[in-house]
Amino acid sequence: MPDSNTNVIEIRNLTKSYGKNRGVIDVSLEIKEGDIFGFIGPNGAGKSTTIRSMLGFLKIDSGSISILGMDSVKDHTEILKHVGYMPSEAWFYGDMRVSEVIKYAADVRGLDCSEEARKLCERLKVDTHKKIKELSLGNRKKVSIVCAMQHKPKLFIFDEPTGGLDPLMQKRFFELINEYVAEGATCLLSTHVLSEVNKYCKNAAIMREGRLTMLDSPKIDDETFLSFYDDEG
Amino acid sequence: MKTILTKELKLNLKNFLIWSLVVGGMGFVCILLYQSMETEMADMADAFSNMGAFSDAFGMSTLSIASLKGFFATEVGTVHGLGSAMFASILAIGILSKEEEQHSAEFLLSLPVSRKKVITAKGLCVLIMLVAFTAICTLLYCLAFLIMGEGIEASLFIAYMLRVLLMNIEIAGICFSVSAFSGKNRMGTGIGIALMFYVFDLMGRVVPDLKDYLFIGPFSFANASEIMSEIEPKDSSFIVGIILTVLGVATAYWIYDKRDISS
Repeated sequence: MPDSNTNVIEIRNLTKSYGKNRGVIDVSLEIKEGDIFGFIGPNGAGKSTTIRSMLGFLKIDSGSISILGMDSVKDHTEILKHVGYMPSEAWFYGDMRVSEVIKYAADVRGLDCSEEARKLCERLKVDTHKKIKELSLGNRKKVSIVCAMQHKPKLFIFDEPTGGLDPLMQKRFFELINEYVAEGATCLLSTHVLSEVNKYCKNAAIMREGRLTMLDSPKIDDETFLSFYDDEG
Repeated sequence: MKTILTKELKLNLKNFLIWSLVVGGMGFVCILLYQSMETEMADMADAFSNMGAFSDAFGMSTLSIASLKGFFATEVGTVHGLGSAMFASILAIGILSKEEEQHSAEFLLSLPVSRKKVITAKGLCVLIMLVAFTAICTLLYCLAFLIMGEGIEASLFIAYMLRVLLMNIEIAGICFSVSAFSGKNRMGTGIGIALMFYVFDLMGRVVPDLKDYLFIGPFSFANASEIMSEIEPKDSSFIVGIILTVLGVATAYWIYDKRDISS
């Protein structure tokens, strides 16, 4: 059972800029074990910058990030063993077959995830024989979901996961998240879809112009949600 | 790391085979052409060796193009030297940057593997491919010699192939560092680097003022005509080669480990 007092993600005063351009400013955030945390905000607000800083793709200017009690810089590789990440673009190697990509991700982790991968492919209807370059965005996203979930990580980080997925697959995707979270996992969900935040998230935060504000509740109405995207909101 | 290396070898296999077979095949055909051109070459040899700077640049002033050794040095030497340098540069300049260009960097770097290991695996892939490229070309040239029933001294031939391999490793090392800097595949830059070194060497052999600086370029110690004429290159050319290779690879590690990865 998840321990809702343990912080899985702990970000303290994170600042990251791209030269003269703003990235994120003084972001602090805590996400507890077992949470499905909604991360919303307009394009360019800094959601992806925060996520990419957490995963070590970006070198942070100041602040600290602790994931699963480990330092994101010093223990970077160890953290990634327990994280399942799905990027918004979901690109792989075009000439590889789906089955090869899924096995490759497991092999780099040094794990045999074939049974879990088979189950996930079955539920998400993934055609493992096709080459990546033959897949639509939605089908690439399904492959990305399998790669992120097959090793049963403690923390999921999804960056706009449902774009391109058909409604049935979106439903199955959230069913899977709920199942893994019930087993003790935690999920950070960056999304633009209000219904996903309302329906699935336990907590949420909004990013605007590089700054983060916690929401009192993820249950918000359309007007409030859209006001977050308004420059003057 | 082994998994990444295997994947890299597989993904680059097609390009590797094309380059090996095209460059090796051209050298193979060049060698076989010698027999049919032997008589004409004998007539042209004098003319070719008395063309001043042009003869110097292509080594025809020290070797007779009418001999197989001279023909190999001038014809195959140019094809193999330039072809292999271009292969080395194209391979190395794209090996790191292609991950960002094809948007697979986030997938790769979200797996539990350090960037240093990624660089090591990709660097090893380049090295293995350059060695295998040299082996395939060597086999094809040997096959041509066998078919002709005539060859050149094994020690000179092996020395040439090994020195070109060293040259390719140096060019690859330099391009590897460019690849670490860039989020885009700079294939044009890679070809430019290989051609720049080739032209620098060519110019250095023609322009007297540049002769003293030939050692800076990697073609200086892999010049087929000099090797076939048993002219030893300056030690400084090897030292510069080693320094540039080490600097290139070290820069790649340093930069790639520190910089932001684009999505």
